[in-house]
Amino acid sequence: MGKYLLKRILFSIFSLLVVVMVVMLLVYTAINRNVIFQTDDLWNKKAGNDQKYYEYMQFQKFGYLNFVNYTDFLGNKYRAQLGDGYDDSEAFLADRNAIQSRDDSYKENPSVKEFYEQYDGKDSYKVIRLEPDTYKSGKLKPGGGAYLIAVRERNPLLRLFYYIRDFISFESTNDVEDPNLTERYVRFEKDPYSGLFAVVGSGTTHKYLLYFDGRFPFIHQNWAHLNLGTSYTKYRGQEISTVITTPAGELNVFRQQYPNLIGTDQYVETAIDFHSLTYNPMTREEDRELFPDNYTSYSMHRTGLSMLENSFVIGLVATALAYLIGLPLGILMARRKDKLADKIGNFYIIFVIAVPSLAYIFMFAAFATKTFGLPYKFANAQTKFLAYVLPTISLALPWIGSLMKWMRRYMIDQMNSDYVKFARAEGLSEREIYRTHISKNAMIPIVHGIPGSILGCLTGALITERVYGVPGVGALLTTAINSHDNGIIVACTVFYTFLSIVSLILGDLLLAKYDPRISLSSERGGGR
Amino acid sequence: MTNAAQAVSDKSDLFRFVEIDPNASEKIIAPRYSYWKSVFRVFFRKKINIFLLLCLALILITSFVMPLFWEYDLMENVMHPETFNLSPAEAIKYYGGFSLKWMLGTGNFGNSIFYGIVASARTSLTLATICAAINMLVGIVMGAVWGYSKKFDAVMLVIYNIIANVPYILLIIVLVYIIGSGFWSFVFALTVTGWLGIAYFFRTQVMIIRDREYSLASRCLGTPIPRMISKNILPFLTSVIVTLLATELPSYISMEVYLSYIGAGLSAEVPSLGRMIEEAQSAFLTFPWAFWAPVAIASAITVILYVLGQNLADASDPRTHM
Repeated sequence: MGKYLLKRILFSIFSLLVVVMVVMLLVYTAINRNVIFQTDDLWNKKAGNDQKYYEYMQFQKFGYLNFVNYTDFLGNKYRAQLGDGYDDSEAFLADRNAIQSRDDSYKENPSVKEFYEQYDGKDSYKVIRLEPDTYKSGKLKPGGGAYLIAVRERNPLLRLFYYIRDFISFESTNDVEDPNLTERYVRFEKDPYSGLFAVVGSGTTHKYLLYFDGRFPFIHQNWAHLNLGTSYTKYRGQEISTVITTPAGELNVFRQQYPNLIGTDQYVETAIDFHSLTYNPMTREEDRELFPDNYTSYSMHRTGLSMLENSFVIGLVATALAYLIGLPLGILMARRKDKLADKIGNFYIIFVIAVPSLAYIFMFAAFATKTFGLPYKFANAQTKFLAYVLPTISLALPWIGSLMKWMRRYMIDQMNSDYVKFARAEGLSEREIYRTHISKNAMIPIVHGIPGSILGCLTGALITERVYGVPGVGALLTTAINSHDNGIIVACTVFYTFLSIVSLILGDLLLAKYDPRISLSSERGGGR
Repeated sequence: MTNAAQAVSDKSDLFRFVEIDPNASEKIIAPRYSYWKSVFRVFFRKKINIFLLLCLALILITSFVMPLFWEYDLMENVMHPETFNLSPAEAIKYYGGFSLKWMLGTGNFGNSIFYGIVASARTSLTLATICAAINMLVGIVMGAVWGYSKKFDAVMLVIYNIIANVPYILLIIVLVYIIGSGFWSFVFALTVTGWLGIAYFFRTQVMIIRDREYSLASRCLGTPIPRMISKNILPFLTSVIVTLLATELPSYISMEVYLSYIGAGLSAEVPSLGRMIEEAQSAFLTFPWAFWAPVAIASAITVILYVLGQNLADASDPRTHM
């Protein structure tokens, strides 16, 4: 069993890698990269070399290539020599303007030579000069100024390698590059905010690496970080796992004390999350009185849920509802086969399968808002709890239908089995036969899907969330695709694929647990 | 004595000697039975099926013949803002009397909703038919070979396990993103891995029947593989195939609507039900007609196809032919 599981997990990791590789190849290599400019107004306003240079900048931002601009190279060179005032120096200006020559004479300039030596052909960089674009008179066209850049296309295999290497990162005491920081340690300390012990670091990015508080899931850590992918456009450079787990909503202000003021009677009304402190080398003077060290950057406590939590809460309640309602109804339909209850149930099932989900969500929304006066849009709800009611029920409705369908099917398949006839011959009541014998066997295939439906809640319900305006994760992938946000596309693929792999494995394990006759590995019985 | 002799000669009149025919003893006499005839006899016994077939025929004729005479043009009234978003009653009033074209009102650009639905229904039906045909054909052929050949099985299982880990919708969205959203690239996105699930389902069915006793017996008797597949295995799976078809066909229509709604559907030049629904949904409280009309037709097509398919599947099970 353990060996089987290990093999299975290894294969899953392998297939996850293949999937990531394929998606990266598709997204970065197969798509014409110029599509990102289709809706870019800034690109439209630029012309000539300025436009080309802007393209390179965008390509770098979207993760297609790396490039070094000659001007930046010069800047670094002269800053080292002359300090901050370098950009007024004649040598710098002369070198910078050298590349504007209308012929090849720019190559004689020593700085340009140096640039070529450092980059051309090295480390798969290639130096490109965007030639000055002139009218016949010799005057520059608008945006026609020359550029000298060294470009390196990102190698797809290397990209995959870096992605895997940086997938999980850990904080260490060498994270902070500040020569003034002398003490570097990680140790247990008493956490003044919870009264319990916490792992506190100095030199690490976060101050509290492991801590407890009264919020779900009660134990929190800032030590390991997941790097699923970075958003390029929509969430400007943020890591996607941070984006989806950061709570939203209004500030949650309550009575707290700054670290240095603990023990005094000075309290403040603030929403600062003192467990989120990170190192800030530019600590302001007024903060030095409130904090014992340079860990003075923080995030805020908020009252709302994060995107992921919103989707998960709605999905989880809907799943529970679906199983609690759908399964008994399926059993009822099988018991009353070809009678009225079965016919009504079948009508509902056909309705749910055949009518596009969009249609009945709208039907239900229109019906429920009119009849019960429930809030339609998430943001307009007066009570927060009520905002979740409609999305949850809409999500559960089709699910109930599909569970009814399968439960009925499996029950009916079992109804003519010998063990049922035997139970009947023994004089068990029909109720008992259905309750304890048939439904138990019919549940076997249903059990397999339970982990999948719970974990699936983490991917969000796209249509439901969009119709009701729930801030969830459902639309993450589609908006990413529409805004060509390659980082998020890869991140979503990894996340969804991971979830589907885990739910398949968990489903199999649960199945083997529920039905001891099923053996996953071929060692015992039934192996072929 | 004479009485007895009389009786014997009477009896010999009653009975005649029959020659033993060695050929006749080779045949088993049974009532004539034709599989497909029986399928359709059972199928047409239900009146609802005839009704649904008539409805389907009406939809098919309308959506495939009508566009031959009337051209649907989304932008025909784009210069007349007063024609935008008219309800059926207003449209009839504006155009001075009832006409087929304006009987469902106008859409966002003053386009005829009825014509739009007709053109879109044609796209949806064509898409569903083509995708279902490709996926079913490739899926069944591959599934039959996959289930029958053990070497092929080992290779295919690895491929399947990798691809099955990727959520189907994700794959389609990414593909549409990459290869564009024209009609044929959309068909490609839906079919490039769509057959795999059907083939896998079919592989399991074939494997079950492959190892049944009667199959083993015919293999021992030296029946060639193509004959095994076509005579021993496939007839057993007819009702499975039809059931699959009954769920596959409508699923592509729903899929198109879903993908259009999330912005990964067919491109704007191709009229489609999904796009019509998507465009009308933002204003569905103010102009409900533009929303409900395409929803109704999409639902009607899927319900009809689903119910017909299920009933055909029931009828194709030989146990119902008694």
